[in-house]
Formats: sequence, C-alpha cells, structure tokens
Amino acid sequence: MIKIEINGQIVEAHEGDMLIDVADEAKIPIPRFCYHKKLSIAANCRMCLVEVEGAPKALPACATPVTDGMKVHTRSPKARAAQKAVMEFLLINHPLDCPICDQGGECELQDVAFEYGNDVGKYSEAKRVVPDHDVGPLIATDMTRCIHCTRCVRFGQEISGLMELGAVGRSEWMEITTYVGKSITSEISGNIIDLCPVGALTSKPFRFKARAWEMVAHPSIAAHDSLGSHIEVHTYQDKVMRVVPRDNEAINETWLSDRDRFAYEGINSQDRLTVPLAKSKGQWDEQEWEDALNQTVELLKPHLNNPDTVGVLVSPNATVEELYLLRKLLHAHGVKDIETRLRQIDFRLDEAAGKPVAPGLVNTLPEIEAMESVLLVGSNLRYEIPLLNLRVRKAQLEGARVRVLNVADYPFTFDLEDKVIADPQALVDTLKVLVRAAAELKGTEIPAGAEDAVVSEQHQAWAKDLVESGKATIMVGAMAQQSPLYADFVLWSARLADLTGATINVVPQSANEVGAYQVGAVPANGGNIDSMLASDKKAWIVVGIDPELDTVYGARLKQALDQADTVISLTAYDSEYLRSVSDIMLPIAVHTETAGTFVNATGDWQSFKIASAAPGDAKPLWKILRVLGNLLDMDGFDYVHADEVLEEAKAQTQSLGSVQGDLAIPARTCDKPVVLGEWSLYSVDPIVRRSEPLQKAAGAARPVVRSAIEADEIVLNTPAGPITLPNEYDESVAPGVVLVPMGLSETADVTLTDVSVAAS
Amino acid sequence: MSHTLRHWIKTFGLIELFKGLAVTGKYLFKPKITVRYPEEKTPISPRFRGHHALRRYENGEERCIACKLCEAVCPANAITIESEEREDGTRRTTRYDIDMFKCIYCGFCEEACPVDAIVESRVFEYVFWERGENIMTKEKLLEFGDKHEQIIAADKAADAKYR
Amino acid sequence: MKDTDFKVIKGEVKERIDRWISHYPADQRQSAVMPALRIVQEVNGGYLTPELMDEVAAYLGMQPAAVYEVATFYSMYEHQPVGKHKICVCHNISCLLRDVDDLIEYLKEKLGVDIGEVTPDGRFSIKKVECLGACGEAPVAMIGKEYYGNLTRERLDELLESLE
Repeated sequence: MIKIEINGQIVEAHEGDMLIDVADEAKIPIPRFCYHKKLSIAANCRMCLVEVEGAPKALPACATPVTDGMKVHTRSPKARAAQKAVMEFLLINHPLDCPICDQGGECELQDVAFEYGNDVGKYSEAKRVVPDHDVGPLIATDMTRCIHCTRCVRFGQEISGLMELGAVGRSEWMEITTYVGKSITSEISGNIIDLCPVGALTSKPFRFKARAWEMVAHPSIAAHDSLGSHIEVHTYQDKVMRVVPRDNEAINETWLSDRDRFAYEGINSQDRLTVPLAKSKGQWDEQEWEDALNQTVELLKPHLNNPDTVGVLVSPNATVEELYLLRKLLHAHGVKDIETRLRQIDFRLDEAAGKPVAPGLVNTLPEIEAMESVLLVGSNLRYEIPLLNLRVRKAQLEGARVRVLNVADYPFTFDLEDKVIADPQALVDTLKVLVRAAAELKGTEIPAGAEDAVVSEQHQAWAKDLVESGKATIMVGAMAQQSPLYADFVLWSARLADLTGATINVVPQSANEVGAYQVGAVPANGGNIDSMLASDKKAWIVVGIDPELDTVYGARLKQALDQADTVISLTAYDSEYLRSVSDIMLPIAVHTETAGTFVNATGDWQSFKIASAAPGDAKPLWKILRVLGNLLDMDGFDYVHADEVLEEAKAQTQSLGSVQGDLAIPARTCDKPVVLGEWSLYSVDPIVRRSEPLQKAAGAARPVVRSAIEADEIVLNTPAGPITLPNEYDESVAPGVVLVPMGLSETADVTLTDVSVAAS
Repeated sequence: MSHTLRHWIKTFGLIELFKGLAVTGKYLFKPKITVRYPEEKTPISPRFRGHHALRRYENGEERCIACKLCEAVCPANAITIESEEREDGTRRTTRYDIDMFKCIYCGFCEEACPVDAIVESRVFEYVFWERGENIMTKEKLLEFGDKHEQIIAADKAADAKYR
Repeated sequence: MKDTDFKVIKGEVKERIDRWISHYPADQRQSAVMPALRIVQEVNGGYLTPELMDEVAAYLGMQPAAVYEVATFYSMYEHQPVGKHKICVCHNISCLLRDVDDLIEYLKEKLGVDIGEVTPDGRFSIKKVECLGACGEAPVAMIGKEYYGNLTRERLDELLESLE
C-alpha cells in the first residue's frame, strides 16, 4: 500500500492503480467519458485531466498510475482550466438538441457540461453533421451526437467479442459506424446503449416514449434465462417502458442480454388476455372473476375424484410462490403430475436415481470465469445464456482452454482449443473415450461401458488438460439436455468429472427451472411429461405457456389436449390455439406484475416486487390459486402477502437427486439422421416471442431446417402427419443431424419423441 | 375648552360632509376611467398569462417536440404529455393535455419551452359549460394557436427585447 | 473462411503477404494488416473494396471492422477507383506558399477532371495530400512511387506526356 494526496486528502492505494480508480474509491469526483471500469483504458476523451504536482501538464487520471507520495489536485485552477477547455472542445460539434434526445436527463455529457462547461460557447462556425445508418431493430443511432469516446467499439472488441462497430476515418471525419451498412447482430448489443455517455446510441423500441425523470425504477429480476440477472424495470403510468441492468458482480456484472432487455415489449403486447373467458356452447363469453373461478372449480371437481387423470403443465418461468401453491393445491387432492420440464425427452436419469435429478451450476460465475479448462458438452452457450458465455469468454481470454462437443459447429465469440462435431451418439462415445483416457492417466479402473473405447492422442490431450489444469469444469448445455441421450451425456460427463477432478455444471435454461425442482413442480410419482402424455388424461391445466410452441411434444400434446374433457388455461396471452382447446381461460400477470421469487442457476433465491400494473382484469397467479384453494374449501390458503407463501415454500423444499456418475441407466441408441430441436434466442418463452423488436433482430428464429443434407426441402414425420420444411444446407452441422427450429408455428407439430426424416 | 368648541363647530357646521362632497364634486367633472366591460376593455400587457395555445411554424409544422420540460416544470401537474416517433422520424406528442382547472397560470411552461410552442395568450375570456371541457387537448390548443397566431406573434415580438 | 473462399489472397499475392506475416510473432498475424492491405490494393488496380478488406480480415484472423478502421485511417488506401497514375499533390504550407493552388487548377483544367475523379481514359486521377516532407522542393507532387519537385506548368506538361 502506498499513500497519495488528492486535494489535500491522504488516500491509500495499491502501487500501479490508476488515479481515477483511487479517486473513485475515495469518492472524489473526476469527470470522464471514455473511461469505464469494465473496459480497457483508451484515454482519448481527455475529460479526466487533473493536475499532478511535478508534471508539467495536466495528466489524464484514467491512464496515470499512482506512485507513492503523488500529490494530485482535481479542482486547482490548472486542472479546472484543462477540464473547461476539453469540455469546450467536446461541445464544439455536439448538437444542442437535448430537448429531443432520449438521453436528455440521464446524459453524462449534460451532467459534466453543467458542472465543467462554460455558460456560453465561443464557437460559431458550422457544426459537423454525421449521417446515420440503420443498425438494426434494437439500437437507434444519432451519430452527430457522438463524442468519439469509443466505449461501444471497445465493448465489441473486448466484451462481446464481435467487433461490429469501428471508428473509421480520422480527425474531423472520424465516424463510429458498422462501415458497409451492416446491422448489429450481437446477442448483448443493447449494452452499448448504456455505455454511450451521450445520445448517439439509444434504444430503438424506447425511442421518444418517455423521459428519464418521469419513470419509476423498480429493482427486479430478469426472467428469460436461468441467471436471474439483476434489472431495473422503468415504468411510466404503471406500464413498463424499458428494462436496464443493475450492477451485480456475482451475476450480470453491469451487463444485460438483449433478450432480458427488450423482452418487455412482449409484456405490452396487444395479445394480452385481459378478462376471464369461459366457453359455453362453443362461444367465448367474458366473465367476472367470481363466476370464472366458480366455473373453474366446477370443471375441476369431478376430475379431482380421479386425480391420476389430471395433468398440469407449467412454465418453468413461473415464480416459486406460484409453483408452490399449485403443488400444494393439487397434491392435497392427489394430483401428482405437475410438470415444468417441457423440453426434456430423456428421463432415464430420474428413473435411475429414484427421484428427480435437477440441473444446476455448482460453480459461481466468478469461479467459472477463473477456470483454466472448460469442456462444453452439447451447448450453443452464446445463444442459450449470453451472459454465461461472457464468463467463459473471459476465462478463455485469460488463457483457459475451451473445448466443445457439439452437434453443430456453432460460432463462439472466443477461440476454441479443439472441437468434436458429431451426432449425439458419437458425442457420447467421445465422452466414453475421454473417460477411458482419464482413467488410464490416473491409473484407475476403466468404468464399465468405456472398455471398448479407442483412445487417440487428441483425447489424451483433452483428458490430460482436465486432470492437470487444477481448475476445470464440464458444462452440459441445452442441446445435450434436450437430446434423446441426455442421461448418457450427464452420466459420462459426471464420470469424467469424477476421474479428472473437474466440476460438473448442468446448465439450467429457464428462469425458475431450479426453483421448480426445489418446490416440487415436477411429478412426485416418478412420472414425467412423456408418461403423462402416454397415459389417458381427462383434464389438463396449462399454466403460463403456449402449449403448442413451448414444448418439444408438438402434435402429441396437441392430441392429448384435444382428447381431454377439460382444459383449464391460466395464461397471460390470448391465442387462437388456446381458444380452440380450452374450456376456460383465466388471465394471469407476468413477472413484472407480481411479487415473486426465482431460484437461479446457482441456487440463489431472488425475490422481486410488483413493478407494473397487469392489463385489464389480469391477476397474479398466486392470488388466483389462493382463491381457488378457498373455493375448494381447503385449509391453509389464507395468505395475505406473497412473502407468507415464500416462507412456507422455503420450509418445504423437496429432496432431489444429484448428478452422479455411479447411476446405472438402461442403454439407448438413436437412429440417424437424428432430429434435434433448436431454440433460437428469441423463441424461448411466450413473452419473448411477442416482443416485436426481438423478432426482427438477428437472433430470431427462421422456419428453416439446418442440416448437412443437400436438399431444398426436408419432410418430417410427425404424429399429425408429414410436414415439409425448407432445408438450409449447412456444413457446420454434423452429418446425420437435422436441426429443427422450435417455438415457431411452422414447427408446432414436430414431436421430438416421435419424429423422423421421411424424405429430403 | 377650545377643543370642545371646535368639535361642536365641526359637528354642526357639517364641515366633514362638505369635505366629502367636494371630493365627489371634483370627480364629477374629471374624465371617467371606468370601462363598460364587456363592450369596452382595458389594455392588456403582452406578458399577460391567459388561455394556453400551441403554436406552429410558418410552414404549418407544429412546434412542440415532446421534450416534456413543461410537464416537468408545471407546479400544478396540469400538463400530461405522451410522445412517440412520428413516421418521418421526428419526436412528436400524441397527447398534450392541459387541465385548465389545475392550471395556476404561472407561465412556467412558457418559460421552459425551448421552441416557443406552448404559450399563454392574452385571451382570458372563456368559460366551460360542462365538465370535461376544462381539459384542453392538443387539437384544441393547436386550433386556438392558429386562431390567435397573429396576436401571439406580435406579443412575443413586443416582449422579446426584455428577455 | 476456407482457403478456397479467398478470391484475391492466393498464389503470389498470398506468398507476398505471408512474407510480411513471417516478420511478426506467430500469434500476431494482424501486425501485417498494413502491408497486406497495400498488396491487395495494388493487385486490385489501386483501390480497396469491402470484399477485399473482409478477405484481409479473414486471412489475418481479425474482425472486419478493425480492418476498415485501418484502411480508412491512412490516406494512402483508396476506396474509390483511381487512375493508372495517381497524382498526389501536396497542399501544405510550403507548397501553398509556392502557389500550388494554381498548379492544381491547371491540372484540373488540363485533365478535365476534379479532385478524386479519374480521366475517361483511366490514366490519371488527382488527389490533394498533406505534407510529403519535401518542402525544399516545393511545390511537390507524388506520382506512383516517385516524387517530382519544383513543379511548374511546363514541367507538369512534360511529366504528363512522359507518363503513359
């Protein structure tokens, strides 16, 4: 530790720290534009000039390392003169259009100009005008306002790994642009809106909608992936206007994925269901809540006498409170089939363990960032959980070796050490080889099943790195989880982890996937969605999902709903399909409109409060369930506050199986070509699917099958008959694999448990 | 003694009465300043803060750019604005309401406006016959502005040198 | 990109760029970006296109935007077609004082093209550049890789005629 003096105040610092960090720590204000704590130092805005005794000129605080005994003045006449002069230069070409600028009121340039600028500008010549380019549906540009801090450029280079913006030209003619009219495609591009200190890059969906000062900021939790990023929901007149990140080093740092940032447009969608609807004689009638709930009870009661014929499908994005009350309500009547694992088709792991085996991250995100060797198994991490991908990228940049086993050569934003691209069966076989290689390396007994594996040098290198790096992890992603060989993937990964000393992280995907397991929103009787669909259910309760789009059971689920006597839908959205199968539709609130809790991938229980008003008559689901409990004359349904439900849910978490290598599962093979479902960034849940800007963005799904088969079209057999989809020949897809985009109306009939390629 | 005498003379000589009548008499022959409102009107300052108006540019384009500064500055919360991007990409209001019952005619909105869009005109003679009429919508305000543009522009010009 | 996707960086061009790459550490191929751009510009008849820059980016393992940054920063990379002989006339202080403006006007008149344009026969284009560092011989112009100093109208006439 050394001591320096800033404005006469003695401050302790580490040798080599930058002056601006030391001053920030001591809460001594230094103005800045180009400096950002998460980006490299550019020192090109010159706003942070301060006087250092002994130095002939003012020095930029962001690029000046502290030395012992340094004496710094941030408010001396010399420093003030430098800051004022820089401010004047920056304002020369900055337009005076604050009244129409979305950044107005939360603009760093405004704030700093207020404090450090002159009252009147001396410059009276023509100002520079820079043409704007359309960079996509998420970001609006007004490049005339740009002050060339290059934060957005550095974000692309250093954080997202996709340098989509560059500073072309020089001096007066320098411009920040995508150069040849390209649009910004990064999955975390929205962060440059927050980074931009002026109004050059602003949010396009939010454009001109509201002012910073008139909105109310509600701290909340993001609901579109399993990290539970900390967000702030900004509302105006109780309507969500925008979502911005909240700093949290353990989860999202200062970033937010575009999915979590722009999904709110789906909350304000015209498709929202606003009144309870009941079907009578084929007609949908609007109902009062009291009547609607009474009818729901009437419809449900006969089936509760025969609880095995009732099936419940719930969104894994529902809150802990909602899932817990649903379980409490239905378990009391003997209904055990409550399912949230809508995209899993292989349940052998649960059968072997005797209880549900939950995914989860055993490492915290900072731990993952510090890994030295990472093996990704069946994961397009960048499009599954963008911010987790950032952590792996950081690890790679620090020297970690990242290797992947994948069904397609997905574009990662970092360099891969090595990769194996093959069909699921071959990938499992590769895992076996790695297990054998690791066992040989360790001199332990080769586990049963891996005896026939032939070890090559490549595999030896992989295993060796996992063993020797000390900090190694195996991450099993969504592609593995949704494949027919999920159990094999997990078991062999776990065995490899056991042998090599690596940790195993089975990455949960949905906001409350882990919570759903913990509060028992998975069948308690060893069942699963597959067996539920196989049994003859007479009544279905569908909660918070678009049943035809949100599962991988497509036509099978549709048939089951068609054949049931009763279908009760609790849904935030009205849809033609739900109207065609339901008997009653109750409007529920989405996550910003209810108090609730999500359990994130690392097992943190994160609660949030109401941020916006539900449209029309829509009500929070936990309140609906509470009243249903009352109407069914049940005890213990007298909650006044969601916190009471949470307390109870916490006290009654379920015992779960853990991911272990010593389980024995029945063997399974899958025939080639294997049809696998692929969830695009923006088709994962009902809210995201209804967010218009996201649907126009680069990550949106297209109804096109990808495979290494040279054909224009591919015909897929589904239980509802064959469907024809256009095929895109893609060499990056492993031979013998057909990737079908899920969550689209075009592929709604695709049933991944019962699908084959008929012709191509 | 003399005090009492003087009091008597004042009282019974009707001195006070004649003093008063003298004032009356004086004003009887002075020019009259009373105006017969509404047939006659007193002059009004160009700074008078009366009925609000939204102005347009000479080419017919509305001035208001939905910056919401007037809404923010309004001490009575009388202004409600909603905005969006118009088809040509400019920032415009979709709603601009002033509740004339809430308004305290302080003129802050006019002061805050960067484009001289919202002004308070010299018109003060208006009535509301029914509830609801007190909400001045964007259409009404623009129409009012169009109707009185000449006099508003003249008032602004007259006051410009003091600003 | 696969090797077959490279339309320009192949054969001799590839060899020339590889020679530059070999001057730098193996993990810093991007250091060769400037010579690589110069070489492909030369092969392409004196100017760069986005496709060419993308190719350089792919070949050197750089982000395309980073290559655009370099290519637009330095004035000797062209982004529009140029003539066979690019006449770069200095217009900084020493040359200005020796009346280079008059020479530029004369050139424009004689060739019938404006700054940045190419003569119809494709032989010449004119470009104003910053100081060429030969103030002692002002006014100066650079044609191709050669400097020509102490320019006058007559000398320009001779020069233009001598160039094919």
